[in-house]
Amino acid sequence: MNDQAPVRRRTVRVNEISTARMNDEKTQSQYQPYKDAAWGFVNHWYPALFSEELPEQAVEGIQIAGIPILLRRAAGKLYAIKDQCVHRGVRLSAKPTCFNDTSITCWYHGFNFDLASGVLNTIVANPDSKLIGKTGVTTYPVEEIAGMIFVFVREDDFPLEDVPPLAHDLPVRFPENNERFPHPLWPDAPGILDEGAVALGLHRTGQSNWRIACENGFDNAHILVHKDNAIVHAMDWVLPLGIVPDHEEPISLIEDEDGPKGMMQWLFTDRWKPILENPDLGLKIEGANSRFYRTSVVLPGCLMVENWPEDHVVQYEWYVPITDDLYEYWEVMVRICKTDDERKKFQYRFDNLYMPLCIRGFNDSDLYAREAMEEFYTDGTGWDDEQLVETDVSPVTWRKLASRWNRGIAKPGKGVTNATKTSSIRLRRLAQGKAPGYKVEKIENVNDY
Amino acid sequence: MSTTTKVVLGFTDGVEHELLVQPGHSVLDAALEGEVPILFQCRTGSCGSCLARLVEGKAEHRSGLAVSLLPGEREQGYRLLCATEPKGECRFSVAYDSAAGAGRPIEAKCFVNAVERIANDVIRFELELAEGYSMDFRPGQFIQIKVPGTEVVRSYSMATMASDLPRIELLIRILPGGIMSGWLENQAKPDDVVEIRGPYGQFFLKEKVREPHIMIAGGTGLAPMLSMLAALRRVPGRKPKTILSFGCQSPEGLFALDQLDLHQQWSPTLQVRIAVDRGTPPAGVQVGNPVEALTPADGLTPDSVAYLCGPPGMIAAARAHLEALGLAPGNIFAEQFVASN
Repeated sequence: MNDQAPVRRRTVRVNEISTARMNDEKTQSQYQPYKDAAWGFVNHWYPALFSEELPEQAVEGIQIAGIPILLRRAAGKLYAIKDQCVHRGVRLSAKPTCFNDTSITCWYHGFNFDLASGVLNTIVANPDSKLIGKTGVTTYPVEEIAGMIFVFVREDDFPLEDVPPLAHDLPVRFPENNERFPHPLWPDAPGILDEGAVALGLHRTGQSNWRIACENGFDNAHILVHKDNAIVHAMDWVLPLGIVPDHEEPISLIEDEDGPKGMMQWLFTDRWKPILENPDLGLKIEGANSRFYRTSVVLPGCLMVENWPEDHVVQYEWYVPITDDLYEYWEVMVRICKTDDERKKFQYRFDNLYMPLCIRGFNDSDLYAREAMEEFYTDGTGWDDEQLVETDVSPVTWRKLASRWNRGIAKPGKGVTNATKTSSIRLRRLAQGKAPGYKVEKIENVNDY
Repeated sequence: MSTTTKVVLGFTDGVEHELLVQPGHSVLDAALEGEVPILFQCRTGSCGSCLARLVEGKAEHRSGLAVSLLPGEREQGYRLLCATEPKGECRFSVAYDSAAGAGRPIEAKCFVNAVERIANDVIRFELELAEGYSMDFRPGQFIQIKVPGTEVVRSYSMATMASDLPRIELLIRILPGGIMSGWLENQAKPDDVVEIRGPYGQFFLKEKVREPHIMIAGGTGLAPMLSMLAALRRVPGRKPKTILSFGCQSPEGLFALDQLDLHQQWSPTLQVRIAVDRGTPPAGVQVGNPVEALTPADGLTPDSVAYLCGPPGMIAAARAHLEALGLAPGNIFAEQFVASN
């Protein structure tokens, strides 16, 4: 550096915090790690695909928290490895090339990786290379349960022996938590890990930050967006205009040493007051049928809605970060089906009632509500400028919990899909009418692109 | 050849490493085995990172191997160490010093962002690297600052991490009559420019240690601990159990309590203990000294590691106390704070 050169201030300024509010500087600083987690939390279990999306011999590429991941099922076994060749970064899943059931080959220069260990075990046209055996790609632990594939999305140096069981990143279970979280108004919610559990649902990409999506799920003031939904009126439900806290402990923390970390909201008890009318505005809820439910959320952002949308069914939701402005929205309903007949009935009801009116209909309102909020937060200033109110005890509690119990904050994606917003490939895809998404687009016809 | 071959590697700072290269191995293989700090990347003779110059003896690239050196470069003695096998004893030199890559000290200019008194004798001094400067450091290391208008240099540990750069935060104890103290109290203001040099120091967080961590800090000796606590939070995998014991002379001398609260909130495996020598302490603070706040009840093992930072008396007492509690002397790392005259 030339000594004569003028000394200049850097031009980027960040995090100018406003003061004197419920979420003032002091409160905000308590959840700074959460504010830093634009790209999500890493070293957690996330849903990756439904089982049926990955039949035998299939390869799919996805992205979670800025990490490209390839899934493959071969000879009945499931594998997940980093979907980025160590050589020059090519996504292996763009044109899947496998010469056997235990490895995958980069279709560009032939780097061949062992699926179980990730090690570079040969190079197609350079089998004596000194590099062989000395490098490789990161592998990710995989679990398949109730028709869903879960992946432990880890940093490259997160030790495999420290990977916690999947149950640590799933909601609390019943009946084992009945005394701790009693629910006199509805039957025990099924769990995805229960015997005979069947998970049916949908995952789709939402255009907002994952935190905006996640906070929507358990925000007890947001149910106003559902006032006009078809299912509510078809069933003649009493869905309040909103639910406000009315107790010193409206939310209980879940911080067991050997289990999930999250929070339970005491809905439909004396701790929360449902608001059924607003005389000033001439509004009154007229429904005839009670629809009691309860929301809880655990890290890394898995919502459970007990007793929803009907008895013996539970709704799970995940808001899986893809980038800082995209998330994969998972809407899953779980029911215990002991026989084939029960399974068929559940599938029929899911296809013809839940899918059109709940998974679509009702939850579509959540999807567009999140997108309407996104732009205020896109450049980061929304976290400082928001004016929170009593009902936001839920998101603030969640933000603090998540700041304490996350296993790592994802680094901003580099060299991955949709990380560079102005890349020409991204622009071309947009021009072709393809919205940025979750799965890797495959090269379908090798002679016609 | 059936025996090993001796090779010497010389760095620009005069440091030399002697290697024994096995038959069939490259010089880089031997350097990595011996943990000699050679820069490298591809290990296949293409990227050019492990470039070195043969200055004595004979050594050639493996026969038949294509490397990315130009013929002219090879004639001048350049070799890629990953592809080079010695033909008898030889000597190479590399164009960097033995600390390359890992926080090599730099000189830089910084703007003052804030000068804030946070206790009766402590100032929080926040700097920001000016445009065009970059540095790296390990949690626990320190920088030197030239007191503006003088040739006097003072050393302070960073309370922030390298990932917080360009922002650098220092905790500075104000000493009556001190040159830096006088400048900070009477002249320093935001937008002033200061010259720094660094990082320096062997007192830094050792990586990949899973055993319990003990940190004992006296006064502004808390600064490197704050940097290390932030780094520990980012360790992938299970976090080590950590006890930080922080002591000040009087309640008026306490600082950073909010920050320690946050660290405790964010790190389920961290316990913070705070003590003052005398006076009426605020809630949560004991009267006593930070060394004795550690007791046999903490169940420390010989493998536990300890980081000590503060005045020489405290460090000596802490060392003796921790050894008595069973820590191995080799696992106790210390940085003394000595007032400059």
